[in-house]
This record gives sequence, structure tokens and C-alpha cells, in this order.
Amino acid sequence: MIREKHPKPEPIAANLTPMIDVVFLLIVFFVLVSQIVEVENADLDLPRPQDPASVGPGEQARVVINVLPGSGGDVSGYRMGTRRYVADTAGLHALATSLATMYRDNPALGVNLRADRRTDYRWVEPVFEAVSAAARLSGREDVQGRVNLVVVREP
Amino acid sequence: MTLPARRGRRRMARLGLNLTSMIDVVFLLLVYFMAVTEFKPGEEVYRLDLPQRGRTADPFELPLDPIRITVTSVATGDYVLHLAGPPGAGPRPATFRQLVRFLSGNLRRDRAAGGLFEADHPIIIEPTGRTSWAHAMGAFNAAVRARYTNITFASP
Repeated sequence: MIREKHPKPEPIAANLTPMIDVVFLLIVFFVLVSQIVEVENADLDLPRPQDPASVGPGEQARVVINVLPGSGGDVSGYRMGTRRYVADTAGLHALATSLATMYRDNPALGVNLRADRRTDYRWVEPVFEAVSAAARLSGREDVQGRVNLVVVREP
Repeated sequence: MTLPARRGRRRMARLGLNLTSMIDVVFLLLVYFMAVTEFKPGEEVYRLDLPQRGRTADPFELPLDPIRITVTSVATGDYVLHLAGPPGAGPRPATFRQLVRFLSGNLRRDRAAGGLFEADHPIIIEPTGRTSWAHAMGAFNAAVRARYTNITFASP
């Protein structure tokens, strides 16, 4: 009788390399994403209304305009994405022109307006004008001049 | 016949998984993210439809007398409210809570008695140039909370 030869047991080894690859990719992704959010949202003390009737920001594509605070209710400028604009007529016109270009690409684009709670209204209102002007400059009928006013809901 | 000498059993390789270094790294990352993370309260939004310039008004549309709410920030960090427009029932509000009550009490609801204004009655928030954004938003929030839908901001 011929005895069958038993094959040698294969050594079992868990290959952790792909898992570590994926974990590091996730880490890199979250680090980058958190930096993008930081760039988009300036560090502002947003209004906190009593009993707010505000709603969640939604999933709509949007651009964020930050009204950067100065001293005593003044502003140091405006920021949309990473680009800064001077708080004067020329700066606001440049802001409207940039936004109009974005509206041409995506007429449903939302505009989130973030302003510090201590900022004077006279610096916030020109942004409304700029958004209206951008809607007009885009030359598209389907652009809605709409702004999302960002606040903080107290826990 | 001689039996073959019994071979000594080969020792099987011990299955070992050294996770120590990975756990070290994971804990370091955990500590790093815990130290770096700052928890911010959730941001929410109010939708504001801007008036469309150049839009031709409907000639058959009856003009409504809007409710004008003037908000002024004062030096103490407080605010002063002033309401102008069509008269409403009840005392004039002095705080945002009273403003919600006033607007809500004068809202015409389906199948309910009373109420002077429809939900789409125009409300214009008129902050002065020096009014803080927080106070302007306080008045806006009061109008939204009272379930009005046609709210705009005036130029300072």
C-alpha cells in the first residue's frame, strides 16, 4: 500500500499591509478635509438667536462668504473660499464678478453668509447687494438671489 | 526488516501576530486627534430670498403696507425695537420674545378667528448701520419664528 504523503501545513499569516495602507489613506483624507473646512469657514463668533427657527444647512452645493471682523464693529474684508476681498466698492464688485462666474457654472449654487455677531450691519448688507448683482451679472434667468444666513444653535 | 527510525516531529511554526507597533501608532494618532479636535456647536441657516432688482411688478397687485421693524443697538450691548406699519393688536413689543408673540398673535391662520396679517405679509427688518449683526438676526429670527415667509432686510 502506498501511503499518501500529507502536504506540509502552510504557515498562516495575516497580511496587515493593505489594512495599514487603508487606515493611513483615511487619516490623510480626514486631515485634508478638516483643513479645507477650516479654510472655508473663518473663525467667527456667529449670532446665537434665542429659540432659533433656523434649519440645517442641507446638502446643496454652496460657497461660503465670510465677513471678516475688524475692531469696533468694522470689518477687515470679505473672504469667499480662499480669496480675500477688500471691503470697498471695488472689492465688492470683484466678489460679485467671481460669484457670477460660479453661478454661470451652477445656477443652483447656494451662498452661505457668515458674519461675526458684533459686526455692524452696514458691512453685512453690501454682501446682499453683491449676491444680487452676481445673479444679475451671470445672465441666467434661473439663478435665485438667495443667501443662507449662518447662525449657531445653542445646545 | 528494520523499521525506519521514527522521525522527530517537526515543530510547527507558532502563529504569532505582533500588533504592538500598530497599537502604538493607533494610540498616538488617537491622542493626537483628541488633543487637536475642538468641538464646535452646529451651524444652522436661515434662507433669505433677496429682492430681485429690475423685476416688473404686477400692475394688478395691491401694494401691502409692510411691517417695518427697526432694530438699534445701544451702547450697553442691548437693543431697541421700533415697529412701524399697519397697526397690530396688543402692546408694541420691546424684546425679541415679545416681538414673536406680537407677530404670531396677529398672524391670520386657517379656520381661526382674528389675525391681521397673512403669512406672506411683507416684513422689512430695518437695522441701522451701527446695529450689530446679532441684533439684526434676532429680529429676523423673531419673524421666522412667528411663521412669516416674506421677510427682507432694508439698506441701512
